[in-house]
Amino acid sequence: MKLTILTQELRKGLNFGERLTGRNLTLPILNNVLIEALPNFLKISATDLETGIEWWGLCKTEEEGRITIPAKILSQVVNNISDEKIEIEDKNDTLFIKTKTFKTQIKGFTADDFPIIPQFSKENFIEISAQELRDGLSDVVDIASLSQIRPEIGGIYFVFEKDQVNLVATDSFRLVERTVKSSNYKNSFNEDIKFILSQKTTKEVINALEENVGLVKIYYSESQILFETSLNEVDHPEIDLISRQIEGNYPAYQEIIPKEYKTRIIVDKDILTKQIKLAGLFAGKINEMKIKTDDKNLEISSQDLELGENSSTLEVRIEGENVEISFNYKYILDGIARVKTKNAILELQGASGAGVIKAEEGGDYTYVVMPIKR
Amino acid sequence: MTQEQIWQTVLAQIKLNVSSANFATWFANTKIAGLSGGVITVSVPNSFSKEWLEQKYKTDILKILKSVDSSIKDIEYTITPQKKIFLNNTVKINNDEQLGFSEFERDEETNLNPKYDLDKLIVGPFNELAYAAGEAIIENPGEAYNPLFVYGGVGLGKTHLIQGIGNKIKERHYSKKIRYLPAERLITDVVNSIRENKAEELKREFQTIDVLIIDDIQFISGKTKTQEEFFHIFNALYQNNKQIILSSDKHPGSIPTLTDRLRSRFEGGMIADVSMPDFETRVAILKQKSEEKGLNISFEALEFIAANIQKNVRELEGALNKILIVEKINKRPSNLDDIKKQLKSIISVKTKVTSVENIIDKIIEFYSLEDNNLFISSRKKEYSKPRQLAMYLLKKELKLSYSQIGRKFGGKDHTTVMHACSLVEKEYEENQKFTQEVEMILERIYS
Repeated sequence: MKLTILTQELRKGLNFGERLTGRNLTLPILNNVLIEALPNFLKISATDLETGIEWWGLCKTEEEGRITIPAKILSQVVNNISDEKIEIEDKNDTLFIKTKTFKTQIKGFTADDFPIIPQFSKENFIEISAQELRDGLSDVVDIASLSQIRPEIGGIYFVFEKDQVNLVATDSFRLVERTVKSSNYKNSFNEDIKFILSQKTTKEVINALEENVGLVKIYYSESQILFETSLNEVDHPEIDLISRQIEGNYPAYQEIIPKEYKTRIIVDKDILTKQIKLAGLFAGKINEMKIKTDDKNLEISSQDLELGENSSTLEVRIEGENVEISFNYKYILDGIARVKTKNAILELQGASGAGVIKAEEGGDYTYVVMPIKR
Repeated sequence: MTQEQIWQTVLAQIKLNVSSANFATWFANTKIAGLSGGVITVSVPNSFSKEWLEQKYKTDILKILKSVDSSIKDIEYTITPQKKIFLNNTVKINNDEQLGFSEFERDEETNLNPKYDLDKLIVGPFNELAYAAGEAIIENPGEAYNPLFVYGGVGLGKTHLIQGIGNKIKERHYSKKIRYLPAERLITDVVNSIRENKAEELKREFQTIDVLIIDDIQFISGKTKTQEEFFHIFNALYQNNKQIILSSDKHPGSIPTLTDRLRSRFEGGMIADVSMPDFETRVAILKQKSEEKGLNISFEALEFIAANIQKNVRELEGALNKILIVEKINKRPSNLDDIKKQLKSIISVKTKVTSVENIIDKIIEFYSLEDNNLFISSRKKEYSKPRQLAMYLLKKELKLSYSQIGRKFGGKDHTTVMHACSLVEKEYEENQKFTQEVEMILERIYS
């Protein structure tokens, strides 16, 4: 193989690839990335056998070929190159990297032992703005909690309906649902597509969509999912991210989201956040914070036996009956942080029912949190 | 040669020619899923293995297969995801107070609640038979004791035991399909299937189950249609060596209006009772529960609770919860005197006296009699037995005189009552099944 590529391009590709390497001890080749020189493209592939990533970047290819190289050393070398262009060549399972000022060679392995990343039927697909999907995923991904007895609950639940996308995650104390409605959303399947991805994979997806301003295509098969982004310059995929789904059925999460409320509090998000952070200082080991309403005022208080106590009163809009309830203040902060409007809505159903945090407008965000027993 | 052996031959030969890392990565958890018309189907754990075997080893594998069985022409691959066994390493939020979504506590697939861990069940003389039977079943579901019938009073850990067995089977034999159902669910399912004309479908669905666990089976008493359907389901599973585990609050012989064919089937496997834990076990239970709850409580206090709450494990836990809440309010640990005061309400209820009406009601309820049938003068055993027992309990529990009791039963002579009491007493001593019945009725009277 022989090719010339922009350093910046190669660096980008290696960064995607490197993230998936170095996690497998039984098969050392998984620490490598596969580098392929194709006509006009350099392709970099990496996999941990759960998730696979393929990246394409434009380059000037003089001679086609393929080789696998330890990902870590290659990306460290490339990250330290300051010249604009890089020439790459391989000879006898060794990779030669050359720039104007710099020459290096790295020992690699034959590409024949590198796992084959599964192919997909591309008949039906879902298409959505990469930016919007990424924003939605960023809102839910951190809520999921890995350490679950039931792996399916620890994942991120994707529901692609006819005209909207629901993204759901829970750690069994709280649950977040984010709806993405996008003008360029397309679902060519005849039915709703639902699947569960692990938190780790979802983070990879977010990373792959990071700088993409275009559309992402999603292909679905019974046990695998493929996310595909396209290059801006030419009509060719940039990243193919393939992942295994998590087995199992996601619970009927809609049953958890309360349909009604007994108390509804509408409050400026920033002011509330500040007061909760204050209360958090005295919230003790279990992070307990009390909320109490009386018609117009919202009282937030906390008490720590050793440190002291704190209480603050806010004038807010309150509908419905008065209530006194305790929450883990961190959970409430997490919920409010994702509200994108000026005001946040907090809906309560009595002292032991779930609380719901929403944005004042939009209806695309629902955060359900269970209280602390009093 | 069985399919298993064929595949073993393939693996043995392949192993000679590939590195052990490659072999472990690509050939682990593969097996032959089927063979038809010269095409052999190999199941692989993921699509990476599928691609690899398809593209790199197809000719090698086919060659070996042909040498074993010349009729094999082609290989197909199918993906069978491995169920991962996740260790129970839940990061415990270090307090009980944070409420969670109860909807998630159930496993969608098996309907079991993972919190019922068999390792956390305290085993004592009161339940060791049932536990041992459970252990044998976990080793070899469907082969050891089938069906396992566990019975005993409320709050003694029947549900914990049978769900714990289910969870353990799931852990050990993850390919087994397990289904836990409370009997009420079974009844609703049967009723719905009849209404929607889907009785056959229901039967088929049940027949795919490897381990069927039904809680509180006594509730199917009187539900003729459910009993009939369950009879067929039971037979189908039993004949295919599928494990059946049942729990009930009574011995199968004491479940009223249970058809004989079901009764005899319930009695055909292993019947194990769960009775009241003895004092030492109660202390052990309290100790474990208080450790789980992070409650620091003196040994004397535990002994006090164990001595005063005798009949029900659930109440033991209730007592601890109460102490825990008071501690939280008082912000200091409770000592023995505090605890005595706090538990007064729970304990005093236990020594509450009962009434004639209550005893009669409970007997009528237990034997599912029509109201007045307790008072008719019939010599049929189904009427005479509850009647005599009622007389006996009125004498023993309320210390009524023989003639008082006689008057309550339509002017019977006091000698009749005396005779009844001595009959019951004799039966009580000699017949263990009857003893348990009486104890269960007493428990209901005083609950």
